[in-house]
Amino acid sequence: MKIKRFLAALPGKLCLLIVAAVILIFFSNDFGLVDIQKTAIVLAVGIDRDGEDFALTAQIAVPKGSDRTTGGTSSVEIEGRGATVPDCIADIYAKTGWVPKLVFCNLVLLGESAVQADVFSCLDFFLRNEYIPNSCQLAACEGSAGEMLSSQSAIDDTSALALSKLFSDAAKKSGYVMTTTLREFAVGYYGVSGSGYMPYVRAQTKEGGSGGADSSGGGTGSSGDSEESGAQEQKVYSAEETAIFSGGRLAAVLPREQTFAFSLLEGNVYTGSFQADGQTYVVLKNSGSVGLELSDVPMATLSLELRVQLYGTREASPPEEIAKSMLTPEQEARAEEVLTGYLSDLWDSCVQTGCDLFELRTKLYRTSLAEYGKWKDSILSAAVKIETSVKSVS
Amino acid sequence: MKLGSRQILFFLAAVAPVGKLILLPPQLAAVAGNDLLYPVLAQIAVQAALIFCVLLLSRRERTVYAMLEGSIGGVGAKIVTWALVLFLLYTSFMPLVEQKLLVQSIFYDTIPSYIVFAPFFLLAAYLCSRPLACTGRIWDILAPLSLFGMAGILLFSVGEADYGAILPVGAAGLPGFSGGVMRTCAWFFDAALLLPFVGRFDYKKGLAWKGAVCYLAGGAVLLFFLATFYGVFSDISVIQVFAFAKMSHFFAGLTVLGRIDYLFIFALAFVMVFYTALPVHGAVQLVADGFPAGKWLPALLSVGANGVLLALLFFFNFDADNILSAVTGNVFWLIPAIGAAFILLLLLFYGRRRHEN
Repeated sequence: MKIKRFLAALPGKLCLLIVAAVILIFFSNDFGLVDIQKTAIVLAVGIDRDGEDFALTAQIAVPKGSDRTTGGTSSVEIEGRGATVPDCIADIYAKTGWVPKLVFCNLVLLGESAVQADVFSCLDFFLRNEYIPNSCQLAACEGSAGEMLSSQSAIDDTSALALSKLFSDAAKKSGYVMTTTLREFAVGYYGVSGSGYMPYVRAQTKEGGSGGADSSGGGTGSSGDSEESGAQEQKVYSAEETAIFSGGRLAAVLPREQTFAFSLLEGNVYTGSFQADGQTYVVLKNSGSVGLELSDVPMATLSLELRVQLYGTREASPPEEIAKSMLTPEQEARAEEVLTGYLSDLWDSCVQTGCDLFELRTKLYRTSLAEYGKWKDSILSAAVKIETSVKSVS
Repeated sequence: MKLGSRQILFFLAAVAPVGKLILLPPQLAAVAGNDLLYPVLAQIAVQAALIFCVLLLSRRERTVYAMLEGSIGGVGAKIVTWALVLFLLYTSFMPLVEQKLLVQSIFYDTIPSYIVFAPFFLLAAYLCSRPLACTGRIWDILAPLSLFGMAGILLFSVGEADYGAILPVGAAGLPGFSGGVMRTCAWFFDAALLLPFVGRFDYKKGLAWKGAVCYLAGGAVLLFFLATFYGVFSDISVIQVFAFAKMSHFFAGLTVLGRIDYLFIFALAFVMVFYTALPVHGAVQLVADGFPAGKWLPALLSVGANGVLLALLFFFNFDADNILSAVTGNVFWLIPAIGAAFILLLLLFYGRRRHEN
């Protein structure tokens, strides 16, 4: 009787099993199987222009040993050349037999030659390709992006990982790095403002650091040659400057102070510090905004409101002052003056280069189509009012 | 066995909106730009009205075929039923193409082989061979899953969305609105999808307006999704196909938590599988109603219909864009016109009398 009942229920159970199996196959993602022998996991790419052609350097992750002394990620850099960026990728495939897997590519570094022309001739491929995340970071660098990626970092075996530390959220809160993703940059480029920004990376040789980090575990150092790697200079990267773009071309490189002012306007800064007259102040609360008033003529307003604390001085202070860390009214006024100067310089840089960094055209467009038609060409030369308020907090 | 009216409401509020998340947002953004909400608002309003009509029709508690057979005879009923079947099969093709593209692009890191989508048809063939009333239990499961997926994706996306991007209102003008309405017709046939269910659930007082309100509620979530989508991608919305699977990617917490947004993406993709199979399921059951030739008929019809669709999908493997252009372009009127004609004519002839049988 039991067997009969079981047999009667069998087709239904079988169907359920088949359905479960089908769903499993459908959502399996090939069970995550990746043939590591044939696949190159690209951590970062550097793009340079060579006349009309492109040179793309892919930094490919190479797993090191799993024991405590050799664990971590090493890398190898492979360069591909071609008439377009996908041509370069195909060139890498042809040279190595590795299929470049860009789904983990979190950094696109653009060399000096790449940013002189419209950068979307380089980035176009990354927007088209469904297998590259639009959340990858963009950065410009001095010199060649390929050389930058191939350089030996003093702080990490892999330059891309060292660079990604510069673009962390914590670094962003310091106010001295303005990061951007491919999506954000593309939105700015294709929007009515036609402008954008990205961090500008420089590399400095570490003093007394010519020995190189012993990153050649497994026989593949950063340059792909362990002996050469040993002799390579160690580099320390900085991204405290910001490259601003208009129409996809590099318009200017903002110095450290203007980068900080821009961060403050964006409201990014928390526990970032700035200096005035030998005093260092730490920002504990930051609100910033860019407004646009449309009366007879448009007027832009850059507003900053900060709560700061005295963070350090060049001279010894009594314990009571250290305990409070308050600013005197004179110090507050001086801090406001310094920040107003930074903002003024930042505004001038944008006006001179025609970069709509503050998205004034976008603001105008969203407010009124009629006003946009009237002022879109002259909005960047609008009058500006800078309002800075620095208040001390104990 | 009959569906519960609750299950119908679950479908309208939580399952139906999910079918519009794959290609509709970028297609709409291409035509209507930042005014993308208004064409969809119009479509939702029309569908809600048609759903009200279909649910009124269901007051007679007889299937469409039974109603037709009672008045115009078996041959006439078969002809009308076949026309409805062809219409449902036509509506089923684009969701299939969308599903295939979604699976190939989102669930794989590189371009996979064509065959990866084929298992869908095994599931669809099984589903479509089951009585329509079984879908009620599926909707009971899918509705919370859909809410979970949608809520998760929206929660992860709102922080990155600049809702000011949908301003200024009316920037695309009348051409943007009318173009948006035309372009989105291919996605709005939910009222017609309910026709095979007529007579398969008990009509309870007020179900018609409750159904319309539930659909409007689901539509409101869809509108919020579209606003968030445009807020995240703004001027590059046009190139953001499979938007629902990408919007949440920018959530800052993912760098710490990992891609947990995949939980929500998978939940919605799972719901989409059943939504995609629904038109074929309805078509199979309509034919089975007209040809009561044994209990194996639905299974045979299901295998046949899904086999043909699988073959068509492979045949048109590289023609997704052409299919999309055709369905949303020159013949955009087919789905709204035929769908509305079926519903309104049926309501005109059979909608007045109640509990006649």
